[in-house]
Amino acid sequence: MLCDDVKRIAYFFLDGTLGEQKKNDFSAHLNLCPECEARTKLHRRLRIFVRNRLARLTAPDRFKQRLMRTLRAVAAEWS
Amino acid sequence: MKTAEVYEHEQGWNFEKAAMPYVDSLYNTAYRMTRNSEDAEDLVQETYLKAYKYYDKFEEGTNFKAWLFKIMKNTFINNYRKKKLTPHKIDFSEIEESYERVIQKNAPDLIRDPESEIFQDMMDEDVKRALDSLPHDYKMVVLLADIEGFSYKEIAEILDCPVGTVMSRLYRGRKMLERTLLEYARKYGYIRGVAEPAKMRSRKDETKGRKKKEEPEGESEVAEPEENEEEVLFTGGEDDFELEDEEEQQEEFAIE
Ligand SMILES: [Zn+2]
Repeated sequence: MLCDDVKRIAYFFLDGTLGEQKKNDFSAHLNLCPECEARTKLHRRLRIFVRNRLARLTAPDRFKQRLMRTLRAVAAEWS
Repeated sequence: MKTAEVYEHEQGWNFEKAAMPYVDSLYNTAYRMTRNSEDAEDLVQETYLKAYKYYDKFEEGTNFKAWLFKIMKNTFINNYRKKKLTPHKIDFSEIEESYERVIQKNAPDLIRDPESEIFQDMMDEDVKRALDSLPHDYKMVVLLADIEGFSYKEIAEILDCPVGTVMSRLYRGRKMLERTLLEYARKYGYIRGVAEPAKMRSRKDETKGRKKKEEPEGESEVAEPEENEEEVLFTGGEDDFELEDEEEQQEEFAIE
């Protein structure tokens, strides 16, 4: 596996969706190529970073309550 | 024996039990799609009402969360996107090139030391803005995969597109997002020693100066038209993975 191949499938390696053979080739390449290893680490870091920063929103409580009231009203209406 | 009323009531209750646990996930994604809380609430509420209405159409044993997201995505397209459906044209080779440029120019230290802490100082507002700078379709796959944790197959189902398309968009969406984050990191001085002093402003100035960039344009934006070639990257027969067809693709990526 060449550096270009590694670059192309790095995200999918991180997703854990590569087949066994590809995964092994990928890991073998990283062991020999510091640049690809660093790149892959950077991808992983950025992904975790984005996830941590973006996953914070939760629906406001008053909205949840309103939503449940609406659902119950609709359910009652339809029954 | 159940009367119709009892059954309906029970169905409502069952639905509520099944659907409410996803309200935060749906809201989070809705907020990222609509970019404001009022529209996000409306979108989620409409999604729940539709889902309840069609609850008997939901196939037991299939993915309920993905089903809800699919309803939300369709609702969004119907309500919001109709208005200004300007298809984003993207030059994909430009994405690759500019990504490499950004890596080489701005982040040599980063590559040398990917564990360095430079991103920790970045403001949430910048992260949000970087995500919003992605064309809608790319933003969606990144959100669904990296924030909501859906599999390629589930995303394909939610978005009504082939798995190969999901993978192409993920690849490119993630690349664009990383590139933008790296650019911000340099511009706003989060990458130490590499920032351009002229562009380092106080945080107060930041928010002022950046407000107007809601409408994407300028350096970090995706360039020039190049007809929709997004299907090409990871679909069948490409040399990327020597994928012949859907079946082989499944094998290749061991999709659950
Ligand atoms: Zn390499």
